[in-house]
Amino acid sequence: MNSKKKHAWLTSNQMILVYIIAVFSLIVGIRQPAFWDFATVLNTMRAAIFTMCFALCEMIVIISGGIDVSFPAIGCVAMYVPMYIINRVAPIDNAWFAFGLAVLIGLAFGLLNGFLVAILNLPPLIATLATSSIASGGVVTILGTREFTVLPSSLQAIYNTNLITYTSPKTGFQYVLNVLVLVPIIVCLLIAWMLKYTMLGRGLYVIGGNKTAARVAGFNVKKLQFAAYVWSGVFVGVAAMIYNILMHSATTSALMGDEMITIAACVIGGVRITGGHGGVGGVVLSVILITLVQNNLNMLGIPTSWQRFVVGIVLLLGTIITSWQTKRSMKMSQA
Amino acid sequence: MKFNKVVSVLASAAMAASLLAVPAIAGETEASTEAGTEAEGDLIGAKGTEYKIAVVPKMTNIAWFQRMQDGVDEYNKETGSNVVYGGSAEGADQASYVEGLLAEDWDAICVVPFDSEALAPVLQKAKDQGIKVITHEAASMDASVRDVDVEAFQNADYGENFMKELGELTGGKGKYIQFVGALTSVSHNEWCDAAKALQEKEYPDMECLGRYETGDDTTSSYNQTKELLTANPDITAIEGSASTDVVGAAQAVEELGLAGKVAIVGTSMTSIAQQYVEDGTIASFSVWDPAEAGKAMICMAIAELDGTVDDSTMHLAAKGYETVENVNKDGVYYGNARVDVTKDNMNDYNF
Repeated sequence: MNSKKKHAWLTSNQMILVYIIAVFSLIVGIRQPAFWDFATVLNTMRAAIFTMCFALCEMIVIISGGIDVSFPAIGCVAMYVPMYIINRVAPIDNAWFAFGLAVLIGLAFGLLNGFLVAILNLPPLIATLATSSIASGGVVTILGTREFTVLPSSLQAIYNTNLITYTSPKTGFQYVLNVLVLVPIIVCLLIAWMLKYTMLGRGLYVIGGNKTAARVAGFNVKKLQFAAYVWSGVFVGVAAMIYNILMHSATTSALMGDEMITIAACVIGGVRITGGHGGVGGVVLSVILITLVQNNLNMLGIPTSWQRFVVGIVLLLGTIITSWQTKRSMKMSQA
Repeated sequence: MKFNKVVSVLASAAMAASLLAVPAIAGETEASTEAGTEAEGDLIGAKGTEYKIAVVPKMTNIAWFQRMQDGVDEYNKETGSNVVYGGSAEGADQASYVEGLLAEDWDAICVVPFDSEALAPVLQKAKDQGIKVITHEAASMDASVRDVDVEAFQNADYGENFMKELGELTGGKGKYIQFVGALTSVSHNEWCDAAKALQEKEYPDMECLGRYETGDDTTSSYNQTKELLTANPDITAIEGSASTDVVGAAQAVEELGLAGKVAIVGTSMTSIAQQYVEDGTIASFSVWDPAEAGKAMICMAIAELDGTVDDSTMHLAAKGYETVENVNKDGVYYGNARVDVTKDNMNDYNF
């Protein structure tokens, strides 16, 4: 019994992701010794920030049995509007204002998504697609498409605040890790706790698994659906402001198109696309894997023309393993 | 981002741009500017016009084409003309906007096509009505639906200039990398091809590490620059193509503490590259001025209406277009309108 349990753990989805990450790192490291440097850890964490934040939005919605393709558009509005106001209307040089407004905008669109899905019972894909169009179309029509690349000094101060500054002994290059990396890390912990130990978390799994059963069991399905979409909107507002600070760029299109890789990250991380299943651990590993692959193909010496192909293969492999695991665990639970 | 579309359309153009480089152009242009006081009146379009001319941009709501509007306004003010600027906000309904113009009695329509295929039949209709059609950033468009096309420069010349700058900045030594918005972008690749060819000839001690795709995404050029520098600490130069390429590269170089040690050149715009030019991480970037492109189209329209179009060389009253050449004898006239933007002239090119 015990060894069976151990075996199950060793072949769990998360452990398989760990193996893939280890093998991939080994291959890159053999081809390119420069990979074995603390800089790689810092670069990977820095590059993973955005995907991780978006995945934290998306996974909650998927667990609740929905899907959200509107978060990139919401994020763009949430960073563009505050920067537009700061640059064009009133120079409010205050980080709380920037983040606060971004969160409010995210909240508004999150409520709209919640209304469309929970109250009007629209299919989530279509509902969030509509929200996406409304958000990005609306902002372009009303405020135009500029690009703001100079941060007000309060936000620039955050950009200048680094958690770690590391100078590589081999090259003398300086690698920094911005303090904002703490945001996804802390939120990961909070979400993991919330999903595991609170009624809210258990409720999200239950409505994602079977809405009718959840209703019968006494869960407020509408409220929980609202919670999922509002969370996604609010946190993507924060994430977008982080993007603006770290990339010095607020545009109406910067994040567009990020939804697919985010959904892929969730699925590879073991979040079942049909809802009711998945956790933070798997998603973190899958985000690390995707980031490693995206950011080390040049190191591996894979020509640019092949890179998209390779990323596609990795995504496919990851998804196959996950779905194979799902079938296996279903069989095991039946047995 | 839209800018990059602009760029790719422009160059999906230059089918055979590398054929006949015109080495003397730079010198000639300077000469004609210097001789300005005398010759200015001789430049086509310098005296203004009574013709009814419309300038239709690809779209109106981006900074690039607002700059073109400024150029048209300036032309009207300086010459006392009354050229009309206007178009569709988002570009998608440009064809129906132009169709709407056909009901009025225009002498010429100058247009930067958004979607050449959708626009072609409308331009054909305009020509059938006797309206002269001038295009810009559309060298590859079906030549039968327009009278003349004006381009800012030949892609090969533009690309070679980047390598000349890199050669100077690096002393002709070290590895360099090239970024393109998309591996399928004709203009970006022509710029890089020309730069690389020049490097092999003039700077044999430099080595091209490779050409990398950024998807017009600042984040991508940022991450790739960090990755490539980590793996190849001997990189001394970076050439960008999409307007965001040099911006992402500059941020990475700056964060790695390599500002001043890695030379960065490429196409960009003041609105996005400003801070890195100010602090010197980007010594200069190149661009062409849509305001002057707008004026050049107007001048070309005047020539067309006056019947003074020369089939080899013309002299227009727009900066960078004082000498335009019909290089391939296909009605596409190339100017020499590249602008190198540095700390010192950044305020003049504030778009």
